[in-house]
Amino acid sequence: MPFLSLANVAKSFSGVPALRGVDLTVASGEIHALMGENGAGKSTLIKILAGVVVPDAATIRIDDRPVVIDGPLTAQRLGLRFIHQELNVVPALSVAENIVLGRPYPRQFGVLIDWRRLNAIAREALERLGITHIDPREKVGRLTTGDRMLVRISSAFLSDSGAPARLYVMDEPTAALTREESERLFAVLREIRGQGNSVLYVSHRIDEVMALCDRATVLRDGRAIDSGRLSDITHDDLVALMIGRKVSEAYPRPMAAPSDEVAYEGHGLAVHRGEILGIAGLSGAGQTALLRRIFGRPAQAWSRGIAYVPKDRRSEGLVTIRPIYENITLPHLHDQSLGGIWLAPNREQLFAATLGRNVRLSAKGPGQRAIELSGGNQQKVVFAKALGGSPRLLLLDEPTRGVDVGAKFDIYALLREMTANGMAVILASSDLPEVLAMSDRIAVMREGAIATIVTAAGLSEESLLNLCYGRAVARAA
Amino acid sequence: MLVRLLRRYGTLIGFALILAFFWARLPDTFMTPRNWLNITQQLSMLTVVAAGMTIVMVMGDFDLSVGSMASLSGIVAAMLFVAGYPVWAAVGVALLVGLMGGLFNGAMVSLVGILPFVATLATLTMYSGAAFVVSGGKTISGRAIPEQFGNFARDGIVLGPVSVPNLTIVAVLVVAFVWVLLEQTTFGRRLYAIGGNLEAAYLSGVPVRRLKLVAFSLTGISAAGAGLLYASRVASANPTQGSGLMLNAIAAVFLGMTMSEQGEPRILATVVGVLILGVLDNGLTQLSIDSYIRQILVGAIIVVAVAASSITRSVRR
Repeated sequence: MPFLSLANVAKSFSGVPALRGVDLTVASGEIHALMGENGAGKSTLIKILAGVVVPDAATIRIDDRPVVIDGPLTAQRLGLRFIHQELNVVPALSVAENIVLGRPYPRQFGVLIDWRRLNAIAREALERLGITHIDPREKVGRLTTGDRMLVRISSAFLSDSGAPARLYVMDEPTAALTREESERLFAVLREIRGQGNSVLYVSHRIDEVMALCDRATVLRDGRAIDSGRLSDITHDDLVALMIGRKVSEAYPRPMAAPSDEVAYEGHGLAVHRGEILGIAGLSGAGQTALLRRIFGRPAQAWSRGIAYVPKDRRSEGLVTIRPIYENITLPHLHDQSLGGIWLAPNREQLFAATLGRNVRLSAKGPGQRAIELSGGNQQKVVFAKALGGSPRLLLLDEPTRGVDVGAKFDIYALLREMTANGMAVILASSDLPEVLAMSDRIAVMREGAIATIVTAAGLSEESLLNLCYGRAVARAA
Repeated sequence: MLVRLLRRYGTLIGFALILAFFWARLPDTFMTPRNWLNITQQLSMLTVVAAGMTIVMVMGDFDLSVGSMASLSGIVAAMLFVAGYPVWAAVGVALLVGLMGGLFNGAMVSLVGILPFVATLATLTMYSGAAFVVSGGKTISGRAIPEQFGNFARDGIVLGPVSVPNLTIVAVLVVAFVWVLLEQTTFGRRLYAIGGNLEAAYLSGVPVRRLKLVAFSLTGISAAGAGLLYASRVASANPTQGSGLMLNAIAAVFLGMTMSEQGEPRILATVVGVLILGVLDNGLTQLSIDSYIRQILVGAIIVVAVAASSITRSVRR
C-alpha cells in the first residue's frame, strides 16, 4: 500500500498551467525520485505537498485516507518533512537556532530559553548526519555554503515527539555539498528507508538518482510522463524522458585542441588559448576566492577581456527585475551606447538578441524580465552577458548548478564552440564528472591554494576525489 | 488581470478620484488655470527635492539631509547677500555648498560604507546645526535680500492669457533633466542596476562607488536649489524653513513607486506623487480643513497606496 498518493493534481499561475493533472505515489520504505527539467512542475508539486501553494484540483491520500494539506503545520502533523531548494537559513542566528527554527524552543521554568538543551538537540540532529565539525553555537552567517546546507538538512532530522516523520521531501539537497557530505546524507536516507519511512528526492544529478533511488516519476511540462523502477531503465533513457529528446552524449567532445599560446598567467596558474582549465576541490577550498582574485576589479577585468559567471546567478549574476537585454548589456554598456553616455535601446536589443540566439536562450523577447525565466534560461542570460565582449578569458563558478539537463548540454556545447574559437576558460565546479569531461587540465585546490595541476585525460573520478582530499589520503597511506 | 491593473494604476485612479472630489466640491475655484498655476508654484520646491531624492532612491538609498541642506543653502545665500555679494555669486556658492554636502553624504555611504539612513541622519543634524551657526539663529529678511532675488519667484513668463511662474518653470526643467538622466543615459541605467542588485552590478563592472558619489552630489545640489527657490519665494531665509521637505519628498517617491510594476522609483511617477500631495494640500485648504487633519489624511493615503500595491503583489504570487 502506498504511503502517499497524489491524483490529478492541477495548478495554474495566472492562467499558465504549471501542473496538468499529475499522479504520483510514494510507497512506504522507498526512495522515490522526482525528476524533470526546470519548469517541469517539480517545485510546484512539492510546494503543494508542503501546504505552501493551494492546488486548483488534487486528491491527496496518506495511508489511503484522503487528507487536505492547508498549511505547513498540517504537513508537519501528517509526518511530512521538507528540505527546500533555497538555502533559507537566517545568517544572524546560530546553527542551533536555525535547526530548531519554527518549532518551540526548549524552556527553563517555561520562560527562559534553555540554551544548553537547544544546543544539545541541534548537536544530536547534526550527528545524525555524522557532522561533528559544525558548532551549534556558531552563527550560520560564518559557515560555508556547504555547511549551511548541512544545517538546513539536519533540521529535517530533529527528533520529534509530536508527529513522527513519515516522508522526507528533499529538493536538490546535494547542490552545495561535497561528495563526502552527500554520501553521508545518502546513508541517512537509506537508513530512513530501512525503517519503513519514505523519501521523495528531487535532483538534477542523474547518476546520484540512479544510485540512490528505487523508483522515479518524471515530470515534463506539468505532466507525469512516466513512473517506474530505476533498475529497469538506463541513464540515457532517463535523460531522454526528461527532456523529450535523445541526447547522444552528456558532454560534447572538443572541436579543436588547445593552442600553446598563453591567454592568462597569474595567481599560480596559466591558461592557454582554447583550453578549459578545471578547478576542483572540496567545498570551501577557495575556488570562488581564486576566481575573484583572477577577476580582480570588475570594471578593469571586463575591459581587459576577462568575463565572469558568478556562482549564484540570482544574488550575483542578474538584476532580476530588469529586462534580459539590460542584463546582457550591463558590462558592455559603454560600447552599446552612443558615446558611452546616451542609451541606444534598439542597438542593445539587437546585441542581446544575437547573443541570446548564440546561447540558445528561450524567452519571449529581450524585453522580458530575467525573473520570469527558468533557472536554466537565467543562467543562459548570465552566459550571454559574459560572452558579449568576446572575452579572451572566461571564468565560470559552478556554471551548471541548478540548471536542467537540456540547458546544461547547451552550455557545454557553447563552451566547446567558444574554446574552438580561441577563448580560454577556467571552470570551477563541484560536479566531478563535469570537470573531468570538460577540462583539458584540472587544478586541484586544498585549503585556499592550488595543490596540484593535473591532465584531465585518463583521470578517474576516484583519483580526482583523492587529490581533493589530499591530506586525508596521505595520512591513510 | 484586474489585480494587475489595480496594482499598476491604483495610485493613478486614486489621484483621479481625489481630483474629481475636489472638482465637485469646489466647482468654481479648483479646476481653474489660476489655481493650477498656484499649485505648481507651491509645489516647485518639493518637486525639485523629490526629483533629487528619486536619483538616490533608484539605487535603493535615501537622503534624509535634504531638508536641512535646503535651509542651509538659503541661509548661505542670504548671509552672502548681507555681506554684499551679488546675486549670482551667492546663488553659486549656495549650490556649491549643496554639492559639497551631497558629496560628503556620498562619501560616507560609498567610501566609508555607512548605511545611508544613518549617514544622512547624521548630516541632517550637521547641516541643520551649520545653518544655525552661519545665521546666528536669526531669520534674514527685509532689505538684506536683494529685490532681484525676491522678484524671481514672483515673476513668470507670459504665455497667452496666463503667466507661468518662474518657480514652475524651474521645477519642470529639473524634472526634464532628471528624466533624461535616469531614463536616457548610461548613468541612469547603471543606477537602476545598482538598485536592482548591487552585487551583480558591481561584478558587471558598474563603478558603484563613483556613481553613488555623483548621485548623492546631485541630490545635494537639488536640495540646495530647492532651498534657494524657497528663500526667493518668501524673500527671506531662516535656519528651519526647509525642514518639511524631506518627509514629503520621500513620501512622493514612495507614492510614485507604487505605480511601477517592480516597485522601482521613476521620476514621472514621483511627479504624480508630488501632485497628489500638493493637490490634497490645496484642496483641503480651500475647504478650510484643519491642517492637522490634513496631515493625518496625507499619512493615511501613503499607507493605503503602499499597502494596496503590496497586497495586490502578494495576491499574484
